[in-house]
Amino acid sequence: MAVAKMKKLYLIAHQSEKDKVLSILQQSGVVEIGNVQAMDEVAGEDWTGLVVRDQAQEELHEVEAALREVNFALDFLNRHYPAKKKFLDAFGGNRVPMSAEDFAAGQEKWAAVAREACNALRKVDEKLMSLRNEETRLQNLTAQLTPWVALEVPLEEVRGSEFVQMELGTLPATDFDSCRKQLAGEAEEAIVAEINADRKDTYIFLVYPTWKAEAVQDILKKFNFSRHQLSALKDTPAGNLARIREELAAIAKERQKALEAAQVHTGTRETLRYYSDYLAVERDKKQAVGNFARTNNSFVVEGWALESKLPVLENRLAQQCDTVEVVYRSPREGEAYPVLLTNNRIVAPFEFITQLYGTPAPRAIDPTFPMAPFFVIFFGLCLGDAGYGLVLTVLSGLALWKLKMSVQARRIFWIAFAGGISTMVFGILISGWFGGLIPMEPLFFNALVDPMRMLIYSLIIGLVQIFFGMGIRFYRNVREGKLLDAIFDQLFWATLILGLIFLALPGLSEIGRIMSLASAAGLVLTQGRAQTGIVKKFLSGLFSLYNITGFLGDILSYSRLLALGLAGSVIAMAVNMLAGLFAGSVIGYVVMVGMMIVGHTFNLMISILGAFVHSSRLQYLEFFNRFYEGGGRPFKPFKLQVRHVEVIGE
Amino acid sequence: MDVGLALAILGAAVATFMAGIGSAVGIGIAGQTGAGVVSEDPDKFGLTVVLTALPGTQGIYGLIMGFLILFRVGVIGAEPMDLTIPQGLSMLFAGLPIGFVGWMSAIYQGKAVASGIQLIAKRPEEFGKAMIYGVMVETYAVFALLMSLIIYLFAPL
Repeated sequence: MAVAKMKKLYLIAHQSEKDKVLSILQQSGVVEIGNVQAMDEVAGEDWTGLVVRDQAQEELHEVEAALREVNFALDFLNRHYPAKKKFLDAFGGNRVPMSAEDFAAGQEKWAAVAREACNALRKVDEKLMSLRNEETRLQNLTAQLTPWVALEVPLEEVRGSEFVQMELGTLPATDFDSCRKQLAGEAEEAIVAEINADRKDTYIFLVYPTWKAEAVQDILKKFNFSRHQLSALKDTPAGNLARIREELAAIAKERQKALEAAQVHTGTRETLRYYSDYLAVERDKKQAVGNFARTNNSFVVEGWALESKLPVLENRLAQQCDTVEVVYRSPREGEAYPVLLTNNRIVAPFEFITQLYGTPAPRAIDPTFPMAPFFVIFFGLCLGDAGYGLVLTVLSGLALWKLKMSVQARRIFWIAFAGGISTMVFGILISGWFGGLIPMEPLFFNALVDPMRMLIYSLIIGLVQIFFGMGIRFYRNVREGKLLDAIFDQLFWATLILGLIFLALPGLSEIGRIMSLASAAGLVLTQGRAQTGIVKKFLSGLFSLYNITGFLGDILSYSRLLALGLAGSVIAMAVNMLAGLFAGSVIGYVVMVGMMIVGHTFNLMISILGAFVHSSRLQYLEFFNRFYEGGGRPFKPFKLQVRHVEVIGE
Repeated sequence: MDVGLALAILGAAVATFMAGIGSAVGIGIAGQTGAGVVSEDPDKFGLTVVLTALPGTQGIYGLIMGFLILFRVGVIGAEPMDLTIPQGLSMLFAGLPIGFVGWMSAIYQGKAVASGIQLIAKRPEEFGKAMIYGVMVETYAVFALLMSLIIYLFAPL
């Protein structure tokens, strides 16, 4: 239950063993490689001129280019021949297991296959692209020509000559009549033929004597004539359109042929996946080198290593390499180090919830362990129905048992499993089965019949959690030697709240009065201690009492445990009742069962979402608020990052 | 049927339809943003759906209150009760807190969640924080439901 201890690690080795060292570091995945900063930590200042930043730029570019090609090929295959996706693959369990040796040894074979497939697919892709361009061009031309389909003049003849001018173009439909009239008046020799008309434009074919060109042009300009230049084409528009149709059909055929040529390579998909992973791993190695420092014959790695895994790593390096020297030290006072949360197997999945909120600071307390039981209890109270709990437990249990899935998915299912059990327990205690479908009296009391009792329990649970959070902060302050802070900031508040609660209880009200007054006085006297000057100290101490409203709000916030629990139960009851209206005939019973399944499934899903969201919220805002210190940087070790293969190490 | 019973039924109606309108608008706002984000990155569908569903709870709270009122006055499940006007009014008042607060809070929660969806479009790892902003709005709908329940339970019939 803690933030893992880290050691600053320095590793020096001979250049010839660089690749081996990188592979070992990557496969063990326990070191976060950082930029080599302070060389004088490793050697003396005398070294300054000899040591330079290491890099592997050329190799990096090479690997990246190869990776781009392989990923292109995979994309291409997935785009045109989508692999059948199984629903269960969504949980990330479809990776192919492979030993580290096979993964390293396979690459030569994969590279050959991949190169051939990539080249072929690249060619097909280029072919498809040029076909698409040609197709777009033809489609545009079709759109241009279609309005002119009634024109029976070959397009190459529509141009000017010494005596006669011919033009095609459009006039705005509203201006067509007045334009024609004006042309008839001022250039009576001009012939205007209306070829086509749509709502906006009238398409006209215009023939006029060259000596009248100026007059005609003036009129056309006035009426916003827009000229269509089609004289580059031969044959009539109708003839052209027929030809284009044939060409488009030919393009479709060619595309089919190109895709058939590509389909041959769908068989290489698996190999491409492996090779893509292999290249990604190589790329990561080359990138890591950019953080190293080097001399002519040696190189230096700097990074943070997981303390618990260091001996194994050192052992392995010593066994497999001859020239490696490892030095490490603990983090210095105030030096920030990356944060990795470590918890036992039962609690670890709840790190997911902590990480949704953020990463705690390096020396702070990992909130996962204290938070997990509260989360499970809250989840159970919010979902609240034993039947729903049973369904959730069985489904998530089956998934955990039977399915292969990613670490993240496994964590979520584990949280659902624990939440399901908690839901069953609370359902049996204070609620029922499927909204009363299976008649069974709750063992403790029925929250639906006596919600006030449930409300009070909810607030008490809230109070417990808030006090627990303050207790953690208190403990931490004491451990750090800030005893006064612990008393002033946590103890006084706790006694004030308790005193106020005692006030309301008969028999304890006298004690409560003394407790709350004494604590309030203590707070007024101490909360302004950061201020200077007696007046400021007193005023900010006095003002701090206002925070009591914050406490009150936080405690009231736990009333959502009651509200959400009731919400789920009442909807479940409503589903049963509505479905029950159909009972009677055979068809009625079928409808009834159908409605119940749909209704309860819907309610279960909505309620699970609500339970998860609100249980998390109570942790984040009401609980973490009391003690959590954020601002940590998550530990990102240098490791094998693969998507398709699951490399099994020794 | 007398006026008192009609007033109680109005209470059930108000709680349900006002909170329901709020949820519909709130989810609509969030859904628009969600669809925009998914158009860029379909993999974010899961995350955006969780956030988009948040303003839906107010409608559910309203529906619960409606059902409870109808139960209590016997419109469903039993014989309708004879209620005086003050009794009917108190059932109407029980519907008002969740009706009004559900209505407005769902809309504003929708807006907060829509911004949250934009947040996770850029930084999916900050999903938890995007969720918190939405759930903070919901607190007040929960309080309103609580007050509705208290009125409903303690108003003498």
